[in-house]
Amino acid sequence: MKARLLAVCPLLHGCGGVQSALDPGGDQARALFSLFALMMWVSGVVYVVVAGALSWALWRAWRYRGADSRADGGMTLRIDRRLAQLLPLAAGAIILGLTVLITASFFADRALFATRASPALEVRVTGHQWWWRIQYRDPVSYGWVETANELHLPQGQTVRLVLGAADVIHSFWVPNVAGKLDMIPGRTNLLDVTARRLGWYRGQCAEFCGTQHAHMALAVKVESPAAFRAWLAAQRAPATPAAGRGAAVFQVACAACHAIRGAGAAGRAGPDLTHVAARRSLAAGTLTMTRGNLQGWIAQPQAIKPGTSMPQIPLTPADADAVATYLATLR
Amino acid sequence: MTPDLDRRDRLALAWRDPPGWWGFLTTVDHKRIAARYIVTAVLLLFLAGLLALDMRWQLSWAENTRMGPQLYNESFSLHGSTMLFLVSVPAMEAMALWLVPLMLGQRNMAFPRLGAFSYWLYLGGVLTLWVAHALDVTPDLGWFEYPPLSGPTYAPGHRADIWAQMITFTEVAALCASVNVVATILKMRPPGMTLARMPVFLWAMLVASLMTILSMPAIMLVTSMLIADRLVSTHFFAPAAHGDVLLFQHLFWFFGHPEVYIIFIPATGFVSSIVETFARRRLFGHHVLVLAILAIGCLAFGLWVHHMFAVGLPRLGNDFYTAASMAIAVPAGLQIFCWIATIATGRTWLATPMLWVLGFVATFVLGGLSGVMTASAALDLQLTDSYFVVAHFHYVLVGGAMFPLFGAFCYWYPKATGRLMSERWGRVAFALIVGGFNLGFAPMHLLGLMGMPRRVYTYPAGMGWDALNQVATLGSAIAVAGGLVFVANALLSYSRGAPAGANPWGAPTLEWAGDSPSPPWNLAYTPVVDSLTPLWDSPVLRVMDGVALERREVVVTSVVDAAPLYRQKSASPSIWPFVAALAVTAMFLGSIFTPWAIAAGALPIAAALTGWFWPQRERATTGPLRVRS
Amino acid sequence: MRTQRGFVAARFAVALLLAGCQREARDIGPSLPQTSPRGAADPRIGYYQDNVYQIAQGGRYFSWYGCAACHGEDALGVRDLGDGRWRYGGSFNQVFASIVRRHGSLDYATRVPPEQLWQLAAYVRDLPQHTPEKRRRLSVDQVGEPQGQHWSGPVR
Repeated sequence: MKARLLAVCPLLHGCGGVQSALDPGGDQARALFSLFALMMWVSGVVYVVVAGALSWALWRAWRYRGADSRADGGMTLRIDRRLAQLLPLAAGAIILGLTVLITASFFADRALFATRASPALEVRVTGHQWWWRIQYRDPVSYGWVETANELHLPQGQTVRLVLGAADVIHSFWVPNVAGKLDMIPGRTNLLDVTARRLGWYRGQCAEFCGTQHAHMALAVKVESPAAFRAWLAAQRAPATPAAGRGAAVFQVACAACHAIRGAGAAGRAGPDLTHVAARRSLAAGTLTMTRGNLQGWIAQPQAIKPGTSMPQIPLTPADADAVATYLATLR
Repeated sequence: MTPDLDRRDRLALAWRDPPGWWGFLTTVDHKRIAARYIVTAVLLLFLAGLLALDMRWQLSWAENTRMGPQLYNESFSLHGSTMLFLVSVPAMEAMALWLVPLMLGQRNMAFPRLGAFSYWLYLGGVLTLWVAHALDVTPDLGWFEYPPLSGPTYAPGHRADIWAQMITFTEVAALCASVNVVATILKMRPPGMTLARMPVFLWAMLVASLMTILSMPAIMLVTSMLIADRLVSTHFFAPAAHGDVLLFQHLFWFFGHPEVYIIFIPATGFVSSIVETFARRRLFGHHVLVLAILAIGCLAFGLWVHHMFAVGLPRLGNDFYTAASMAIAVPAGLQIFCWIATIATGRTWLATPMLWVLGFVATFVLGGLSGVMTASAALDLQLTDSYFVVAHFHYVLVGGAMFPLFGAFCYWYPKATGRLMSERWGRVAFALIVGGFNLGFAPMHLLGLMGMPRRVYTYPAGMGWDALNQVATLGSAIAVAGGLVFVANALLSYSRGAPAGANPWGAPTLEWAGDSPSPPWNLAYTPVVDSLTPLWDSPVLRVMDGVALERREVVVTSVVDAAPLYRQKSASPSIWPFVAALAVTAMFLGSIFTPWAIAAGALPIAAALTGWFWPQRERATTGPLRVRS
Repeated sequence: MRTQRGFVAARFAVALLLAGCQREARDIGPSLPQTSPRGAADPRIGYYQDNVYQIAQGGRYFSWYGCAACHGEDALGVRDLGDGRWRYGGSFNQVFASIVRRHGSLDYATRVPPEQLWQLAAYVRDLPQHTPEKRRRLSVDQVGEPQGQHWSGPVR
């Protein structure tokens, strides 16, 4: 089924991809893809029938184009009587088709929420303009381990995302893994995701949230449960206190908004940077994580992501270099 | 019945407009007002289309930096707001305003000055939005501006208020137009046109207008609540102060969903008229078509939550709305059955209006099928807020409303202007528009499934979206080129088109009984109707006489059986609609800046309404109505 | 004569309109020199003080830099920034100087970038024009925002 669908898009390197609903890598996305496939079949049949009927109608029009007054009173009456018998058939077919689809949709919906009854690993995801704050429960101390813009999921285990918003409405969407769910100020929405296929995926905010809605993306890694636990342990560990120029500049210029646990920086306004260099991307998916991009982002945030809340910090080239070097060590 | 010259002269004297600018400002001729609506709407269609081309060009390459986020956000907000509030609904209202009296054999609408007022107010809304755009104060939060993004904290200044007040303008204008249409259709039908003998077009306009009256208050309320939050610090949409962000969404979509059917249902009226004429047989399934329109009108009010499937509402409720949203495919599907049956069993003539109907069926059914997909609460979690739903709503709005509108334009153009549009260029325009549209929007289904969200000014390289976006841009450009050909055809045919007689298409309904172009008084006699297709069934039309010729008068008939009741004075040209609209405009614009404008603005409005309703001395009646054949 | 007067009136109206619309301009990113204001008549002041976007940005940084902890809605006395009384002067450069020099070890001069200092000064000088209801309404929207080193969670 998937292969047949993928064959439809010859121009591209597959309808699959890291942000594709057509390439399910999780239970929820798979249930939705099956529903979609069923709907495609039904829609295909319906469209062929309608197009066929229209073509037949036009063929008749062409065939009888010379006839005069074919539609005289008596003949129309007979034709109409026959057509009137077809009408309930058409209605019945439509109702039948829709009933099939409504039932399938109902069951797919149940499948999406089947895991709600059982306990699951809770991860708090909060949408800010224009980045994601992600908090894991620390299994050791029961505090929160905070990271940003990158979500790691253990393969095969259901994770319950507790979705909230700090300012305006956002929406959490990782198409390969599950459908989307809005993050609404004043509500807490729960989204269960069960990832099955290892690898990296991309998610994106799917509710217009302001100037840089286009650059509010999320990296998602699905890894084995062991690798996930190792990653979480690494995230939990504080950064080693550093004593270089970079750390000193960071403390003055960046610590008001950013936190580096263990190094005395505790700002909550911006993303947590304790293990920033271990992430795959920067600025909510806008740039790849490299030392050069780190420095570029710090130097010219407005040029890269115009309208971003990250201010333009005036640093001397030496200071900028030092901070970028320091941040690159925070793995 | 050929009216004699003396009769025509007396009618011309009673129904003429004052000359020049004064006549322009004071006219209550429904045809002139409708023409204004259409010209304004077509102009805005092109402006919004240019915005769309700009956006498409921006999205044709990954990480394109030509348009910054601010400009792009303004563009899609303006494009959506213009197309939905300032083009689609007003265009449908305009067709009703123009055709309803003609199809009823009446000389004007029930409330002529209200029609003029509704246009001026609509123009006020247009200017509010587009002058703001010219002054670089464009609203930039989308066409539905959800709070808290549109609240006082995250949308400082007045851009969001300008959007909200534009809505107030257009909704009051729509309410006025709808009340006018409903009153005319229910109380001013020609004698003998019982509800059972009323053409499908009039049923469509009746239902669409009733839907407008029932749904518009919701959006006026919600935009007023938003302005109140922003201007006087109420807490309607402040969750931390016991408000609710979802209240906005529910109220907005309670209007928003019927709105798209308000746009679609008149299109079904156009299609029914065109199919009947060009299949050259009476419509098959008249009762089914009427019942389908009524069913769609009712069902449309029970679907709005399908715009909120990703919000996290209780699942069982969502399943109900899935079923209801899919159920609306039943009446729509039966309508398609009836039209195709009519085409198949008639002697179908594929003139340009009929081509547009074919384009409509081919395109709208696709949109309906993608709509069935988005109707599923579960699948919608992947599809909503992505390019899939962008493709879906363009297919149903363009295919389901614009194509019939273009067909209706070609169909009734001879009646309005006395000329025929060029068939050859009409076919060229049709091919370019329908082909270009499908080429442009079909790839968007795939883009949405491949994860491209809506309202993004750019996307990263390497997603595999580039090629599809470029195809979409090419298709859109072709469609716009076709639109230019269409408009050029209309403009050039005005002076160079072949002269059309009274009934060039051989159509059956009453609007084709009089001259082309219709004189200001429409028909010289009041027709008496005894079938659904009067011009086909009676070689000579039966008429009634007795309505005054020296002054403006119309016949009022009963609601169900259209028995003549009395003659009603019809309003003469008046400056008061324009003055009242100016007063209302001043109040609406003022209330963007201060709540006191509502109090201060009430006084000029009261003065204008006093002038409007100043009592006129009644004249004596001339005599009883009598039948003449 | 009449047309000439009409012309002048029209040009005046247009100029008025255009001036009013600078309030709504949305220029993204610092585009002016990033230095402290030079006196109360620095031409750059209008760019910030008369612009709703810059003032709103100042409001957001006000919360993010933790200013609301001392200068929040229920601040009293000299900490109440909305009362219109300025201990060290109310002109733009004086308020700017208060932010950078009169916060001791908080040292905003080095910890807050110049662009944001301008936005904060503009916001603070705009506060006295708010009614208490407006101030409350704005703070109610921002309960989910981080305040310096504290974040109480998303808006619930």
